[in-house]
Amino acid sequence: MNDVLIHVENLKKDYDGDVVTTALSDVSFDIKRGEFVSIMGPSGSGKSTLLHILSFLDRPTSGTYSFSGKKIQDLTDNDLAFVRNSEMGFVFQAFNLLARQTVYENVELPLIYSETAVNKRKEIVENAIASVGLTEKMFMPAGKLSGGQKQRVAIARALVNNPPVIFADEPTGNLDSKSGLQVMQILKELHAKGHTIILVTHETYTAQYGERLIVLKDGFLEKDEPMKKILNKNVELK
Amino acid sequence: MRSKDAFKSAFKSLTQAPMRSFLTMLGIIIGIASVILLMSLGNSAQKLILEQVQSVGSNLMFVIPGGPSGSRLSSPASVQGIIIKTLNDKDLASLRQEPSIEAVSPEVRGQARVVFENNDSETTYQGVSSEFFKIRDFKVVKGVIFSKRDEETYNKVAVIGQSIATDLFGARDPIGKTIRVKNINFQVIGLLEEKGVGPFGVDQDELILIPVTVAQKQLLGIDYFAAITIQAKDVYNIDYTKQRVETILRLNHRIEDKTKDDFQVSTQEDALAILGDITGILTAFLTAIASISLVVGGIGIMNIMLVSVIERTREIGLRKAIGATNKDIMQQFLFEAIILTFVGGIIGILSGAILVTLIYFVLINVLSTGWFFSLPITSIVISVVVATITGVVFGIYPARKAAKKNPIDALRYE
Repeated sequence: MNDVLIHVENLKKDYDGDVVTTALSDVSFDIKRGEFVSIMGPSGSGKSTLLHILSFLDRPTSGTYSFSGKKIQDLTDNDLAFVRNSEMGFVFQAFNLLARQTVYENVELPLIYSETAVNKRKEIVENAIASVGLTEKMFMPAGKLSGGQKQRVAIARALVNNPPVIFADEPTGNLDSKSGLQVMQILKELHAKGHTIILVTHETYTAQYGERLIVLKDGFLEKDEPMKKILNKNVELK
Repeated sequence: MRSKDAFKSAFKSLTQAPMRSFLTMLGIIIGIASVILLMSLGNSAQKLILEQVQSVGSNLMFVIPGGPSGSRLSSPASVQGIIIKTLNDKDLASLRQEPSIEAVSPEVRGQARVVFENNDSETTYQGVSSEFFKIRDFKVVKGVIFSKRDEETYNKVAVIGQSIATDLFGARDPIGKTIRVKNINFQVIGLLEEKGVGPFGVDQDELILIPVTVAQKQLLGIDYFAAITIQAKDVYNIDYTKQRVETILRLNHRIEDKTKDDFQVSTQEDALAILGDITGILTAFLTAIASISLVVGGIGIMNIMLVSVIERTREIGLRKAIGATNKDIMQQFLFEAIILTFVGGIIGILSGAILVTLIYFVLINVLSTGWFFSLPITSIVISVVVATITGVVFGIYPARKAAKKNPIDALRYE
């Protein structure tokens, strides 16, 4: 079994406008199944652009990107939507919950798009909510929860289709340190259970949860090393 | 995404903002209620007019001088002041011998000042035969109608309508009194029951009916008729009788080519068909005007849906991120538009039905008019169909706009 989940080669992303802006240039790396990769870089380094391409939310201008053997160039928009639904989970900095809908309804959403049978949904949703410790809040509108609780709902939603990979874009960016810690703990547990975690962050402490660090600068890949190696070198993470 | 889930999701989105949903539906509600109200009133007016025509009598046909449409003697010529003198006593006598005819009444009419003591009134007098009363179902509430003998002996007697009686006699009993028409004395022998305005706009209570012979010879100085009213026998088909009348008149007038007829025969059915067509066109016209408000309502829905798409940009981005396809997003927004118009349509139908019921209650029970309650099913069917089409048509554009949103741009939207 090929254990490479993500293969990126000479990836380039330009944004059209009055002046063409290059967000990513010549980025190449592989990510194996079950890895926990942190992506860091200063603002404008291209880390969010990279995450969007890796998570099939955007397409590269050139280069090769294949996810689980599927090349993004060969997939239609509907195919991308299908892969996002069945093989990827998303955790955003801004939570992106439907505020007026309950925790249950928010977590159920991916199952609706995967057309999971109604009678199977209940158990799956309840288990996902229980895994983030929010069973008591199950029928509360998501908008009434605290920031940490909202992010836990988002994690439950990301987990509900049991995707192999979870993309987390600044998951602790809007949280206090205690809630941030809880959220990172959950991601760590998910990694321990075999999920691939790809985390974009600008916080050193958060990045250290990863076992590998990719650093971008001005759209170029500056560093791609195991976290242990970096920590042993006592290199300051920026 | 299953359609059932898309429908539930759309319904939930709408119920989460109930006031906005209601205000969005308001245009459709008013549009549908207007269509129902106007179709109902049009339908009722049609029934009312047709009933008035039928109330003139049954199995009737009318012969008037003048040729068929487009000919030298057609109605427009007579309207322009050309007097056509083609209907005469010989025609009358021939028609009276036709077995399929029950009764015949010739008619002449004129305007005159009618005087009684110090009271006078400008009104229409009509010379008719004694059969006129039976044919046209005119009944007297006091006195008697004139007889065939009165016609033959040129007896100067008159049967008058309720309004003219009030004008001339006030509260006094008109029977036996003498009135003067064009300086000729007539004795009032009968008072007609109240009839109101007839289907052709003539106030029948203003009429003075006198023997046709007297009207021809002593008031008008003519020997022809302005019209002949014929009542066919029940057992004969009205079209057969009409053919017989045309044949008799052509023989009398020595006409071989029917395009050169110097008379026109029209049945009550012809008049009913023409009036039915006119009122039908009017109803359709009113309904078309009301439908404009439906279109305006549809545009209102499109407007609010477009605002909703912008407001929910992040939600659209999120849904796409977690697996919604363009079709899923389009389906959800289209369902929202359809639900709005459908529910608006139902509320509009109920509002229209309640409004129609209230209006008819006032018209029939309070104002005691002769209107009929009418709530045509076609108006409801048309309303529902138009509302649903409106929902689809005006929902497609915002739904497509939502579906085409780029998930990244949508997620970044502030």
